[in-house]
Amino acid sequence: MGEFYQIVVSDYKQRTRSYAFLVTLAISLYFAYSFVPLPNAEYTTVRAGNYIGVQNSAWLGYVTAMMCSIFLSMIGFYLINSGIKKDTDTGVGMIIATTSVSNFKYLLAKTVSNFLVLLSIAATAFLMSIGLFLIRHAGYPFQVSQFVLPYLIITLPSLFFVSALAVVAEVFLYRYTILMNIGYFFLFTFIVSQQLFIAPALDVFGVKPVTVALHETVKQHYDSTNNEVSMGYIFGHRNPRSTFVFNGITWTAAIIGARLLYMFGSLLLVLASSRFFHRFDIKQRFKSKTRKKLSAIIAPVQPLHDIKLSELPAITPAYGIAPFIKTELLMLIRKGPRWLWLINLGGMVALAVAPLSIAHQMILPGLWFLQVARWSDLATKEKTNRIHYFSYASYKPLTRLLPAQILAGIILALALASPLLVRCLIGGYLSAGLNIIMGGIFIVLFAVAAGMLSGGKKLFEILFFLATYVNLEKAPVADYFGGMNGGTAYTVLIAGCIGLLAVMSFMLRKFELSRI
Amino acid sequence: MKISIQDISKRYNKDKYALKDFSLTIETGILGLLGPNGAGKSTLMKIIATISQPTSGTIELDGTNIQKDPDHIRKVLGYLPQDFGVYANLNAYEFLEYIAAMKGVGGSGLRKRVEALLEGVNLTESAKLPIGTYSGGMKQRIGIAQALLNDPKVLIFDEPTVGLDPEERMRFRNLISDLAQTSIIILSSHIVSDIETIADEVAIMQGGTLITTGTQAAVIKQVDGKVFEVLLENSALSDFKSKNLVVNTSRQNDKVLARYISNHPAPGSTPSPASLEDAYLFLTHNNN
Repeated sequence: MGEFYQIVVSDYKQRTRSYAFLVTLAISLYFAYSFVPLPNAEYTTVRAGNYIGVQNSAWLGYVTAMMCSIFLSMIGFYLINSGIKKDTDTGVGMIIATTSVSNFKYLLAKTVSNFLVLLSIAATAFLMSIGLFLIRHAGYPFQVSQFVLPYLIITLPSLFFVSALAVVAEVFLYRYTILMNIGYFFLFTFIVSQQLFIAPALDVFGVKPVTVALHETVKQHYDSTNNEVSMGYIFGHRNPRSTFVFNGITWTAAIIGARLLYMFGSLLLVLASSRFFHRFDIKQRFKSKTRKKLSAIIAPVQPLHDIKLSELPAITPAYGIAPFIKTELLMLIRKGPRWLWLINLGGMVALAVAPLSIAHQMILPGLWFLQVARWSDLATKEKTNRIHYFSYASYKPLTRLLPAQILAGIILALALASPLLVRCLIGGYLSAGLNIIMGGIFIVLFAVAAGMLSGGKKLFEILFFLATYVNLEKAPVADYFGGMNGGTAYTVLIAGCIGLLAVMSFMLRKFELSRI
Repeated sequence: MKISIQDISKRYNKDKYALKDFSLTIETGILGLLGPNGAGKSTLMKIIATISQPTSGTIELDGTNIQKDPDHIRKVLGYLPQDFGVYANLNAYEFLEYIAAMKGVGGSGLRKRVEALLEGVNLTESAKLPIGTYSGGMKQRIGIAQALLNDPKVLIFDEPTVGLDPEERMRFRNLISDLAQTSIIILSSHIVSDIETIADEVAIMQGGTLITTGTQAAVIKQVDGKVFEVLLENSALSDFKSKNLVVNTSRQNDKVLARYISNHPAPGSTPSPASLEDAYLFLTHNNN
């Protein structure tokens, strides 16, 4: 038990001492605050038809618990899905592999550690919900159970399931992190889209009993046919006078049992995956042809020859950035499995043939999101690959290498968007074309700035995931490519953001160069 | 060519120094840096390579302050860090051409130079394979090749022989002996014999300070007449070690031959010629 506890505690400390965790915590707090909008706000999160609950303990407790369950399941996966990889990269895994810790015990420790990380964020959201109740002081009595029970029964099992799923995904897809990240995006989007129609047994987020109760409550109070429950950030279309009193639900044994079953099922998943866990016996994969060639070469390694520097061919100064851009592009293209390029090509074809609005609003953000792993470490890979000893001691690293990295990322973004850009040009939609170009520049600079700010790729992955999801839900707030917004003011706003991100990126790199 | 290091300090917090008031002048030839772990060797090398900034003090290359004008040294610098990485998806050609771009060199001769260097480090056959597939020794060779890409006049090698086998180490020593005729070479190693065979000058560091510097002969002279060997019973070794600085022991039948440094030799001891390793151990021990 001691070793289990140590793995959990060490792992938890290691993760929560990262900038990515702190930034995610800050973002979560902001979202927790927005989970229960003020009565006069321009959006709603949970509503039944045109009705929303009065701001009593039950409404605040249940709504924040449900939103937290979904929101943290969404971004939490990206925060926690590299626990095993970290052990692989640092070599700690090799040490663990030589101990008596069983595969299951190790994976369970990782699951618990994942869970604790998400639990820490959920705890702050929980405190925020109580704080909101006390601050807004709508005159309703404070009932602590209306806060505690929904978090315990709705949120916690969801987070445990996601924690286990992250571990299982790492076991099976440890060589395919791109597939893991993108696959979860589509899995999550699918589950959420089916949430209100799904059978209770498949209710991963545990919100079904509450949405049914909300529906019934409204039905009892108002003779309205429009009382379907909807969740998410819904802008406009609401009548601020239509409220109802929600007093929570009765937590039956069946509901609690179903949630416990989810946690038990999560444990079974971890147990099953432990049979397939590599236990850090990871060999570099090659195609058989390469492997054959390599074994022939590596076996008889020959010693160094004599090198006479004075006899080497002469070189001349060359301070251009074209060779950088070429190599950076090469690395971007080679990253990830080759079959992903087939999907990219399919996306480009879709951009060329789909109705223009769908291509711009849906396909483009989806296609760009597929590049998340390519862009996420654009400006941090030197450090993660320990190349920074070379690059930071190179000739003018700030004004040569960083611009080349940014340009390579932008070239990739615009190349992928090129069919749509051509259509905009042919159709005379110059403003839309400009917005797409600026969107490409924005997302690459955002990746660079977020990477350098957090010192890793997690922050960008989480935020990019969030932005893409919100965009596919057609909420204009995260529209960085002009899919839903337009006009001069919008273009100026994005241009300003681009300028800000560019300045931020250069300042952060300058800071990095001075602080290594 | 001359590097002048003046009162360099690198402070991490109020009481913790990686380097403290370190001064040294380095001229063309090979300087061997010796010191135990945490002595500040890598920190000093990183500061000279302009990767790290000192808290105080100055470093000049031929009169130019390299903290104010880092590109002055970067143009002529070849640096092999102790713990460097590679981009696993690039092959050796691509990686070296990328590093060449970083160093600001190119031209029509670059490809031929890359090929010649790869031949020199014997990686021609595997040059088109991703570097991620290379063994540790092969990666170290790539590191050596990149350091030589730009016709360097200042070469900094931090533990360069790690991962190289004895024959490769010998080849490497030959290589840098050749380079030392026109360049400044700063070399750190835990293997004293690597330094002993090639360094013109030696600097011994401990706790962020310079204990001594000079030619090998001058450094060794500090322990001349203090190195002895004595044959001991096994049971007496522990007690002998507690009273003397024993630098080496070897089994001889049922006894132990102890090599030690002392101003007052034990009875039955015979004098032995001092080596750089003796001087290093004596000076770092005395400095503790």
